[in-house]
Amino acid sequence: MSDDRLWAALSEVQDPEMPVNLVDLGIIYGISERDGVVDVDLTFTAMGCPASDFILEDVRERLLREEGVRDVRINIVWNPPWSASRMTQAGRDALEAWGLAV
Amino acid sequence: MPTAAEFAKTIKSGELIESPNEMTPEYLRELKHTLIVSGDTELISAPAYYLAAKKAPSINAFMTGIAIIQDELAHAHIAYHILEELGEDQEKLIFSRDPKSFRYPYAFDVPLDSWTELVVANGMYDQAGFCLLGDIHDKCSYGPWKRGLNKVMAEENFHLRNGRTWMKRISATGGSAKDELQRAVDWMFPLSVEWFGLPDNLKMHSTQLEYRLKGLTNDQLRQWWLSQVVPYCEQINIKVPAHKETKDGTDVYVLDYPFPCEFDAENKRWDFKKPITWDDVLARWRARGPRNAEMVALFQEEFHKFRKSHHQNGN
Repeated sequence: MSDDRLWAALSEVQDPEMPVNLVDLGIIYGISERDGVVDVDLTFTAMGCPASDFILEDVRERLLREEGVRDVRINIVWNPPWSASRMTQAGRDALEAWGLAV
Repeated sequence: MPTAAEFAKTIKSGELIESPNEMTPEYLRELKHTLIVSGDTELISAPAYYLAAKKAPSINAFMTGIAIIQDELAHAHIAYHILEELGEDQEKLIFSRDPKSFRYPYAFDVPLDSWTELVVANGMYDQAGFCLLGDIHDKCSYGPWKRGLNKVMAEENFHLRNGRTWMKRISATGGSAKDELQRAVDWMFPLSVEWFGLPDNLKMHSTQLEYRLKGLTNDQLRQWWLSQVVPYCEQINIKVPAHKETKDGTDVYVLDYPFPCEFDAENKRWDFKKPITWDDVLARWRARGPRNAEMVALFQEEFHKFRKSHHQNGN
């Protein structure tokens, strides 16, 4: 299974609070797959992220919809810490259009 | 200041009003009243939600609950800040008014006593707030308020999601957890339906609509709310006393109980066998409910204590 397909899948998952997807937001640090088991390294924009449960649920749910995926393991990482510089240009544009300076 | 005729023309043209010197005194009064209801509603939801969020079942859930309260305080601030620009004293409005004179929906006066009741409030009360503010955001003739609501709508969406996700989870758990959820919906659903006020056939004239402070009538807003809440509850196997009918090709939600009817706030029970009049409802609203004084005291008491001790120390 190509990792590109899994990255594309997560770029369809919107952040629960802001109109930007998780990949453009830059909180997905890594995706790998072996025998249908997907490992995801992800972080949150803040340690006290109020949407953390929703994000975990959405990532799991979306990846499980990909053909051949039978399990999703999420590893929450804090290093390197997230900052606005980890956003893609598309993510920056989306948030600026929404009225958030990044 | 424009004449009444000039002002009526501006309103009719769809232009936005940007400052007090573009308004008639009547418009200013109605705008202030609408803002006070909005500010008070957001403000009081903070203590109402806080007293229940303390019962969160996990740290993550508690963080979400607290974040929602933080949002609500920020939303209240938008309304009070605009009121200040219109000549009102924000501090007096929040800290020096009698609890009974706050203008928020009666529903918040009935205590939310558990996490389950909090998430139903997120699913139903925040949906009501979403409909009311969404309409203002869409149609309001006062520019500063209309623009201030841009971000509010996205945040209310997050509150709704918390409500819906947890309601679904609790319903799927089944057993006594689901029974508790059903009991919460049983008393909170009709309170939310009441939230939108007098039915259109009893409300002969709406100044708010005339001035385009809002765009939808009470019944239209109520139908919007029902069209969001009823199908969702049915989808997660929670019973609600309303159903959909198709009249002349359009869907209409019909209540399965006399509206309005008797409510026992102490025991959180509706008596669907006892229809009442809207005068009875308005009297209940004016008298306020069980938690009104406690919630207002939660933010007023310490403010005055702090003020007093500061003055004694000569600061």
